[in-house]
Amino acid sequence: MKKLILITIVILPLFVAAQETWVVPETNLEKISPFVFDDDLIKDGEALYENLCISCHGTVRKNNPMVFVPSPGDPASEKFQSQTDGSMFYKINKGRGGMPGFEPTLEEEEIWSLIGYFRSLNKAYIQPEFDYGDEVLSELAMALSYDANVDKLVVKVTSNGEMKSGIKVSAAVKGLFGKYILENEETNETGIAYFNVDRKMPGDEEGNLTVQVRAQEGYSIKKTEQTMQLVEPTVKTDLIAGRHLWSKALKAPIWLIVVFNLIVSCIWGIIIYIIIGLVRLKKVS
Amino acid sequence: MAETNGNRARDSRRNFLRNLSVAGSSLLLAGCSDSSSGQSGEKIKVLNQNQELVEVNASDISPASLQADKEYLKKKGRTGVPGRKFVMVVNLAKCKNARQCMKACQGAHQLRPEQHHINVLEMEDEKTKATYYMPKPCQHCDNPNCVTVCPVDATFKRSDGIVLIDNERCIGCRFCIAACPYSARTFNWIEPRDAEKYKDIPYDMELNVPQKKGTVTKCAFSADRVREGKLPYCVSACPNGVYYFGDENEDLVTNGTTRRTVRLSRLLQDNAAYTLMPELGTKPRVYYLPPRLS
Amino acid sequence: MGKVREEEMDLLSESRIEEDLLRNVNWSKKFKIWFGFLTVLLIVCLWFYIQQLRKGLGITGMHDIVSWGIYISNFVFFIAASLIGMLISSVMGMIGYKWIKPISRIAEIIAVAFALVAGIVIITDMGRPDRLHHLVLYGRIQSPIIWDIAVVITYLALSLLLLYIPLIPDISLCNDKLTGLPKFQQKMYKVLSLGWAGNEAQYKTIKRYFQILLIVIIPVALAIHTVTSWLFAMTLRTGWDSPIFGPYFVSGAFVAGCAAVIIAMYFIQRNYMLQDYITDMHFDRMGKLLVLVSLVYVYFNINEIIVPAYKFKPTEIKHIGNLLYGHDSVLFWLVQAGGLIIPFMLLMIPKMRKPLPSMLISVVILVAAWFKRYVIVVPTQLEPYMPIQNMPESYHSYTPTIPEIAITVGTLVMVLMVITILTKLFPVVSVWEMKEELLQENQS
Repeated sequence: MKKLILITIVILPLFVAAQETWVVPETNLEKISPFVFDDDLIKDGEALYENLCISCHGTVRKNNPMVFVPSPGDPASEKFQSQTDGSMFYKINKGRGGMPGFEPTLEEEEIWSLIGYFRSLNKAYIQPEFDYGDEVLSELAMALSYDANVDKLVVKVTSNGEMKSGIKVSAAVKGLFGKYILENEETNETGIAYFNVDRKMPGDEEGNLTVQVRAQEGYSIKKTEQTMQLVEPTVKTDLIAGRHLWSKALKAPIWLIVVFNLIVSCIWGIIIYIIIGLVRLKKVS
Repeated sequence: MAETNGNRARDSRRNFLRNLSVAGSSLLLAGCSDSSSGQSGEKIKVLNQNQELVEVNASDISPASLQADKEYLKKKGRTGVPGRKFVMVVNLAKCKNARQCMKACQGAHQLRPEQHHINVLEMEDEKTKATYYMPKPCQHCDNPNCVTVCPVDATFKRSDGIVLIDNERCIGCRFCIAACPYSARTFNWIEPRDAEKYKDIPYDMELNVPQKKGTVTKCAFSADRVREGKLPYCVSACPNGVYYFGDENEDLVTNGTTRRTVRLSRLLQDNAAYTLMPELGTKPRVYYLPPRLS
Repeated sequence: MGKVREEEMDLLSESRIEEDLLRNVNWSKKFKIWFGFLTVLLIVCLWFYIQQLRKGLGITGMHDIVSWGIYISNFVFFIAASLIGMLISSVMGMIGYKWIKPISRIAEIIAVAFALVAGIVIITDMGRPDRLHHLVLYGRIQSPIIWDIAVVITYLALSLLLLYIPLIPDISLCNDKLTGLPKFQQKMYKVLSLGWAGNEAQYKTIKRYFQILLIVIIPVALAIHTVTSWLFAMTLRTGWDSPIFGPYFVSGAFVAGCAAVIIAMYFIQRNYMLQDYITDMHFDRMGKLLVLVSLVYVYFNINEIIVPAYKFKPTEIKHIGNLLYGHDSVLFWLVQAGGLIIPFMLLMIPKMRKPLPSMLISVVILVAAWFKRYVIVVPTQLEPYMPIQNMPESYHSYTPTIPEIAITVGTLVMVLMVITILTKLFPVVSVWEMKEELLQENQS
C-alpha cells in the first residue's frame, strides 16, 4: 500500500504536466539542422535510438510505444512527423515529465542525427537547406597514405587548399556490420593526422583494408572511403574444405566410402550368387 | 521490430522475384541493385531488396515463375556468403533476461511459444550458487555432430560457418535432436504456427520459413539478414548490449545495441571468453563472456 | 543326444514324420478366429496411424526433450528379438548341436518376422514418411541411419534365405502331398519348390548354400545390433555415449530372442501337436541357454552402471542416480531384478525348465526386455546438458499417449500375423531333416 502511494505521488505530477500540450517556444520552432542527413548520420541516429529511446517509443513503424499518458509516440507516425525539426530538437534537448532532456548527455550533432533518423522514416520529407550566413564553409580535401616507417595511416587535410591545424579527423576500418573506429584526431600544423593501424588486423589476400575517414571543420564535413594496403596479407581458409564426417554426401571420407561399399557389395555379392544358384536349382542333377 | 523487418524483407524479395527474373542469374544473385548492362532500350523501374527503386533495361527482365523463385531461394540457402565466417559473442554480464531476443526470433521464424531457436536459460554457478542468465542459440559448431548424423543432407554446414536446415529435404527422423548436446533443435510436432497463412509462400531456407510439420527447425544465425549486411534478429532486438555479431575473417564484431564495432580477438582475450562444453570437441562459433556473479 | 530323445526316435517312422509335420499346414477354424482377431486389432491400430499421419507426431507423447519415445525403443526391441535366428541356427548349428534342428526353423521365422516389421516400426517414427525416398536420393553414408537401413535390409534378405533354403524340399513335399488347398497356395508351392527333384546333387547344393549363409549371417547379425546401438552411442549424450553399447545390445538381444523362441516353441508345440519333436529336452536346453545369455547380459549391465557411477562425473551421476534411486528407479529395478536376475535364477532350478514354467518365465523376461529398451532410450533424454526451461511442464517427463501405444501394439500384431502365416504355410519343423536324422539313427 505504502508503495502504491509513493508511486502515485511520483507519477501524478508527470501526468498533470503531460495533460497540457507541449508548447515549444516560437524561436525554437524554425531551427534546422546544419548537418546534412546522409546515410552515415542516419545510421548513427538509428544506433542512438535503439540505445536510448526504443524502451519507451517502441520499434519504429510498429506503433508500439509504452503505454503512458500522453503516449510517447512512434517516430514514424504521422503525428510525430508533423512537427518541425526545431520542435523535435527542442523536445529532445529539454525533455518533459517522463521524457528526459538529453542536453547534458548528447552533442548537438548527435541530436540532429536522431532527427535525421526519424526523417528517414518519412519518404515525403525534404531537408530544408541551412543558411550558413556569413560563415564561409571551407572546402576540405583529403589525401590518404601509409607510412611504413612509423606504421601509421597518414591523412593529409587541406582547407581551401591550405594546411591547417585543429581540423577534427576520424578514421575507421569498414566492417560488414559497422565501422571499427581507429581514433579521433586533430591535424597538426602541417595539416596531417596520424592513425595507428594494427598490422595484425586481417585484411584481404593482399593486405588491403577499406578505411573511412571523416574530416570536420565547423559545419563543413568531408568524407572519403579508400581501400588501401595497410596490413599483412591474410590467407583465408575454407571452413568446409576437405572431407569430414560432417561434410555433405559427396564429400564423405574416402575410407568410409571404400569400407562401406566393400562390405555391402561383398555380402550382396554372396546373396546374389546364392539366389542365382537357387534359380538354377532345377538343372542340378 | 524483428518481425516487421523479417516480413518486410521477405515480402519485398518475393515481390521482386515474382515480378521479374533476370536473364543473367549473376545479376539476380547480386541483388539487382545494379543495372549497368549498357544496353539501349526501354528502361523500367523496379523495387530491389532494400526497397529502393532501380532502373533496369526492360529487355533484361521477364516475368518469373514461382519455380524460378523457389530454385533461387534453394540455391542461395545452400551457398554460404562468400569470404565470411560468422561468429557471435554473448556477454553474460549484460544479460538481464529481457527476452527481446527470444521474442524477435520467434516472430521472425514463425515459431510456437514453446519452440525456441534462442532460449534464455537461468543458470547456476556451481561454486557460488549465484544465478545468471544465459541466452543459448545454436552454437553453429565447426564440428557439428547434428550434421554428421543426418541421413539425407537436410542439415548442412556452409562455408560461412552457418549450420542450416532444408525443411523440404528433412525426413523427420530427429537424429539431429538426439545428437545435439546443446538442445538447440526443435521439432514441428504439429502444424506450425499460421501454417494456413503462409502455405503459398515459397520456402526460404535462410529464414527457414514457412515452417513445415514433421521437420526439424533451429537457429539459422539469421542467414537471410547477415547476407544483406544486417545484424541477426535477436542481436538487434537486445536492449542490453548482450550480443556482438560479426565476421571472424575481419576480426570485427558489432554490438547489436550500441552498434560499436570492436576487435573480436581482443574482446575474447580481454574478457576470458569461453565456449560451451569445449570438452565435447564440437568447436562452437558462439563465444561467451563470463557473467558477473555477485 | 538325450536319453528321452532316443526312445522317441525309435517310435517314429518316415510316414509318421510326414503326417505329423504337415498337419499344421491348413487353414483351420481356430486359425481363422485368431487371425480375424489380429486383423481387427490391426485395423484399429491403423486408424490411429492415419490420425498420426494427418495431425503429425504431436499426437504422441514425444516432445523436444524426449524426441525418441517408445517407437524407437520398440524398434530396438524388434531388432533384438530378430537376432535369435542367427544364434540358434548359425552359432549353435555350426558348433554341431543337433538338438536345435527341430527349433531352428521357429527361430528363423521369429527372426524374419521381427526384422520385417522393424522396418515398418522405423517408418512410424518418421515425421515425414512421405519423404522415405530421400534416403535413396540423398543418402549420406556418414549417418548411422544409412548403415542401419543397409544392414537391416541385408539381414532380412539373409534371414529369408536361411529360412527358405532348408524349406525347399519341404515345399516340394507340400506340393506333392497336400490336396484341397486354395489354388494360389498350390501355385505358390509349385513356384517356390523351384523344380525340386530331391536328387543327391540338389541336396548337396542347398547344404552348401546353407553353410555359406550360416557363416555370412554371423557378422551381419552382429552388425545389425551394433549399428542400432550406434544410433545412440554415436551421439554425445550422457548415458548413450558408451563404447560398450554394441556388445551390451548384442548380449541383451540374445536374452530377448531366447525368451521369444521358448514362448513360440510352447505355443507351436501345443497347437500343432508336436510333442514328439519339440520335447521337454528342448525346453530344458533352451532354458539353460537363456541362463547363460542372461549371465552375460547381467555382466554388461554391471559394467554399464559401475564405471560411470564410480567416476562420479556430474552429468553422468545425475543420470545414474535417476536410474538407481530417482525418477526412473522403479522401472529400472523391476526390469533388472524382476525381469532379468530373478527369472534366470529360477531357470537354474531344473523343474522350472519344464515347458509351462519356462514359458511363463520367458514371458516375464520378454516383457522386461521391452521395457529395458525403454529404460535405455528415454531417461537419457530427460537429462540433457542444458536445463529444460521456458517449455511446458510436460517436457520434464515422457508419457506415451493412447495413439502411440496403439501404433506400437499394431506393430506387435503384425509380427504375430507374420509368424502365424508362416507357421500355417509351411511345416514348422523341417521334415527332410527329421527323416535324415531318423535314417542316421537307424543306420547306427
